[in-house]
Amino acid sequence: MSRYTPPEQSKAGQVFDIAVVVVAIFVALWLPLKLGLAGAAKSIDALDAKTWEALGQNATMASIWEKLGYTPETAHDIIQNRFHYVIDWPTLIIMAAVLIGYFVFLFRASDREYRDVINEKFDDK
Amino acid sequence: MWIALSYASWGISIVLALWMLYDWFKVDTTFSEEVLTSSREGDLEAVSEKHRI
Amino acid sequence: MTIALEPAVQEPAAQGDRVSLLRVLGPAHVWALGVGIVLVGEFTGWNFAADKGGALAALIVCWVVGLLYTSVAMIDSEVTSTVAAAGGQYAQAKHIVGPLMAFNVALFLVFAYTMLEVSDAILLGDTIVAKAGVEGLNHNAFIAATIVVLAWLNYRGVLMTLNVNFVITALAYVSIVILFFSVSPWTQGAVLKLNELVTPGNALPYGWIGVIAAFQFGIWYYLGIEGTTQAAEEVRSPARSLPYGTMAGMITLLIAAAMTWYVCASMMPWEYLGTTYYPLWDAAKLTGSPLLENLLFIATLLAALASANGCINDAARAWFSLGRDRYLPSWFAAVHPRYRTPYRSILFLLPIALAFAFIADLNQAITFSILSGVLQYTFMSINIIMFRKKWPLGSIRRGYTHPFHPLPAIVLFCLCVVTFFAIFLGFGSQLIAMVAFYFLISLWFHFYRYKFVRRGAQFTMPWPKPQGY
Repeated sequence: MSRYTPPEQSKAGQVFDIAVVVVAIFVALWLPLKLGLAGAAKSIDALDAKTWEALGQNATMASIWEKLGYTPETAHDIIQNRFHYVIDWPTLIIMAAVLIGYFVFLFRASDREYRDVINEKFDDK
Repeated sequence: MWIALSYASWGISIVLALWMLYDWFKVDTTFSEEVLTSSREGDLEAVSEKHRI
Repeated sequence: MTIALEPAVQEPAAQGDRVSLLRVLGPAHVWALGVGIVLVGEFTGWNFAADKGGALAALIVCWVVGLLYTSVAMIDSEVTSTVAAAGGQYAQAKHIVGPLMAFNVALFLVFAYTMLEVSDAILLGDTIVAKAGVEGLNHNAFIAATIVVLAWLNYRGVLMTLNVNFVITALAYVSIVILFFSVSPWTQGAVLKLNELVTPGNALPYGWIGVIAAFQFGIWYYLGIEGTTQAAEEVRSPARSLPYGTMAGMITLLIAAAMTWYVCASMMPWEYLGTTYYPLWDAAKLTGSPLLENLLFIATLLAALASANGCINDAARAWFSLGRDRYLPSWFAAVHPRYRTPYRSILFLLPIALAFAFIADLNQAITFSILSGVLQYTFMSINIIMFRKKWPLGSIRRGYTHPFHPLPAIVLFCLCVVTFFAIFLGFGSQLIAMVAFYFLISLWFHFYRYKFVRRGAQFTMPWPKPQGY
């Protein structure tokens, strides 16, 4: 098998490739922040009666909250801010499909490239 | 005190960042690209680790 | 040395003309790199698991995720004691799975570590601002100083960097031990009130789905221990030091995680524990001792510093390796002729870390980091199976062989699937966005960038041909 000789990349090409990667990184990390997609689905289950008992805190817990500088009013938003776990099947299926598709593509494309590497490395001596 | 500390932090950051930029520029102009990028994976490996059975 | 007896070595051994990374590190540095990166997780982050599933869920995931990471450490020790090259898992993937996988793994590494560094810097800034309690004090100055000073340290040489890491990691660790023993852990009721704070009624407020959801932040107890492999090219004896340092690090962390949970869960209601940024510092405050409070304040800063320091080290080496194989422009593959560090990679990643530290918040940065971490662990479980298939035991010399194969790989894979499900519960759209990014950049690499890569030359290990090819 003949040895593959990669083309030399020009300076401008190198700079361009770096720029592509940087932009991609920023888009991937920054866009979810900007669109508000990042962060968990939490919401406050408001209670009318703002006492330690109503918030489900026993005497020991209440004393610790107070030691930390909270009153039932200020602690309310922390304690009642709850997750609501609902399994949204369509999203779950999309996520699973995306993940599996991604890994399958990775392993198959890698294997094709890997065969070239092995052939050149071991048959070319 | 804390405000002064925060100004000091900015100061240190700027000085060190400038020093690194200066050193980077100096190294890149003193040495050739061939020397700088001459590291090869497995070089030392081949010397120090024998995969002999 | 028996170089003369080994004619199989193809690369000329003319080391004088070459500038390479320096082999100066020992097992203690490996420990410091691994534990240093991770220990900050005890000071913040793990407690969000309590938010997702209650105090008991945080304990359950501490153990179960501990099992996941023990598998990671075992698998990693075997592969990396054999593939000893900077870039760690990247070099493993390149030799075992293939170039595209390697490219992705390197990106997982760079993202996981850079975002972890960002989280550390934000934590450090916020901790100082909280301590100061001064109106108008902004955390940006402290964030900038953290990132720039540590980058400078990394720029100036790996030995000093990891010596510093060893000292500050050990100090932070000792402070957890001191806190643990000063709250008389042997008696409940005096300082610790576990049975009043964690009751049958509130131990699992969301039931078992909460336990699953808690996996996401359970990862944070240990995330980064696998970074020890990045030092492979700078360790004096990788085949021995890497498994030794990694395993010792894992044991240290399991102990620290158990102590941390016990102290914190016995001192704070789970609703508070799950949302505070400083669980250990708060625990120290609640003891009422100013000495402990200040100790844990300083320890939080030190842990954040150690972690960010290790992250810069690891991310830069992964990026450097990409450049060296021309997966990215070879410009990044430069080694500083005097300090022997991948200086251009360090400098390139610095502004990226800074930018995100200024715009993201702690929770988001942590999630990005966890996502990339879990993608990487999924790869590792498949990788080890392929490794044993292509080079069965006995065909090459391994520095360490992990027991019970393939059980750790299967355990690891199953736990990764559970963790993906946990991320789906709350952070699903972020996961899809991340994977979409990796997918697109993989297409870019496979169809365009790979043409600049030399083929056979990237396989650098002196191994026989893999079986089945």
